[in-house]
Amino acid sequence: MNKLLKGELESAFKDVLVNILEETRLTATAPKDAVLSILSFLKNKGYDHLALISCVDWIEEKEFELVYVLTSYSEKDRKEHIILKTRILRKKPEFKTVISVFKNAEPYERELHELFGINFEGNERLTPLFLERDYKIPPFRKDFDTREYVKETFDKIPFVEEEKE
Amino acid sequence: MRELELYFGPQHMGMVGNMSITLKVEGDRILEAQTNPGWLHRGFEKLMEYRTWIQNFPMVCRINVIEPDSMEMVYAMGVEKLAKIEVPERANYIRTIVLELSRLSSHLFGCWAYANMLGFDTIAQWAMYHRDLVLDLFEELTGARVYHIYIWPGGVRRDLPKGFKNKVLSTLHTIGSSVPDYDATFFNNRLFYERAKQIGKITEKEAKELGATGQILRATGMKFDIRKIEPYAAYDKVDFEIPTREDGDAYSRVWLIRDEMIQSVHIVMQCLEKIPQGEVYNRIPNPFKWKVAKGEAYVRVESSRGELGLYMVSNGKDKPYRVHFRTPSYPHGLLILEKLLENASIADVGNTMISLYVVAPEIDR
Repeated sequence: MNKLLKGELESAFKDVLVNILEETRLTATAPKDAVLSILSFLKNKGYDHLALISCVDWIEEKEFELVYVLTSYSEKDRKEHIILKTRILRKKPEFKTVISVFKNAEPYERELHELFGINFEGNERLTPLFLERDYKIPPFRKDFDTREYVKETFDKIPFVEEEKE
Repeated sequence: MRELELYFGPQHMGMVGNMSITLKVEGDRILEAQTNPGWLHRGFEKLMEYRTWIQNFPMVCRINVIEPDSMEMVYAMGVEKLAKIEVPERANYIRTIVLELSRLSSHLFGCWAYANMLGFDTIAQWAMYHRDLVLDLFEELTGARVYHIYIWPGGVRRDLPKGFKNKVLSTLHTIGSSVPDYDATFFNNRLFYERAKQIGKITEKEAKELGATGQILRATGMKFDIRKIEPYAAYDKVDFEIPTREDGDAYSRVWLIRDEMIQSVHIVMQCLEKIPQGEVYNRIPNPFKWKVAKGEAYVRVESSRGELGLYMVSNGKDKPYRVHFRTPSYPHGLLILEKLLENASIADVGNTMISLYVVAPEIDR
């Protein structure tokens, strides 16, 4: 199954690098312009369950890696997973939404917008999801230091002094 | 009629869990609903990048307050996959027992929430009592009632204590023998039927589009259970059914919870019978110096609420580079709840939400 799909993906799209991670897991690395068409290609192939959209901050390479984990609801390839990855520049964190292909992408993109500061063009609901305060750097990026932030923000709050009798 | 904005939760009688919904209502009809998570956001996934592979366990189990064991399981599976650790056979059986007992306690908690919301206080108290009996078993096995930190990369932390098998069997007997009582007072009760039938109805197509898993999908007639699709632990060695229903409404979902509890009891009994002798863990390297090989993994288990996945990246250091949990409540609470509340009445908000079995800490992480 995997080898078949590998061949199909590589022949349908030019710049896709397919790697068989293990028996039921396949990773595909694609340039960012091809992601939407690969996703709809895979959806038509029966991979209709978008399980997760994640992001990895490769700070040394100055890139964000967006990760789409796809699997299937249909009987025959429920075991298979395709992990589709693409890289965007950290300096220009912009990408296109995939809601047109997978409706359930909306909250995942909303989360990545908030935690990594990636702007998904076309997603109309990039409103805050979890966070309450404003952050200078989106907090899930690697250059955001949680400990430093806690020190800066919460150390300034004075202790409640005990009342003197 | 005038359009009003109504805040529902996080401190509302009809709300279980720390979540709030902003409703746009006209009379008592809901025009639009917006869920607001984030009341329990602790940034666990970020904090995990600062701690070693083993130090993360106390955080992992706190992601899902009600059912911590499947979180531990998925994390342990991820680490095992990256570090290529084998698990002894006996540990696989013990893991299955723990996971099913934890599913049982979680489902009983779900029964409590649903019965309580409908005003069936007696049944709610029974469910809470029976859940407590299961927690007693956990206390004896792991030393803790709620957060066990028992499943470990390479196996489980210790063997079953002496006489544990009989205690499990006697607890299961107590719970099992009250099933007719539950049925007579709750599941076959006309009031429950009238109140839950046709509430929060979703079709298979819509459920798939919005990424549903677990009871929500199975209530539409689809046999989708990761324990069968990709068996982990000892699920390929036990015999069990996947209960399904056709209607896709709250009534079917709550019935499924009941049927799954019975299957869980069967699985635990089979495991107790078949469990082999042997080691319960394979030694892992010194946790303080343990460096896990470079790589990435996506693993998933069937938690009590649906597909629980974990995407994990290691860059060859002693700490994970990135951890991202795919929790089942995430699409259920953020997308499906909003969809089902459209055109519903205010009285059905709690009903719909609890029947979707949403756990707020799982969404926020």
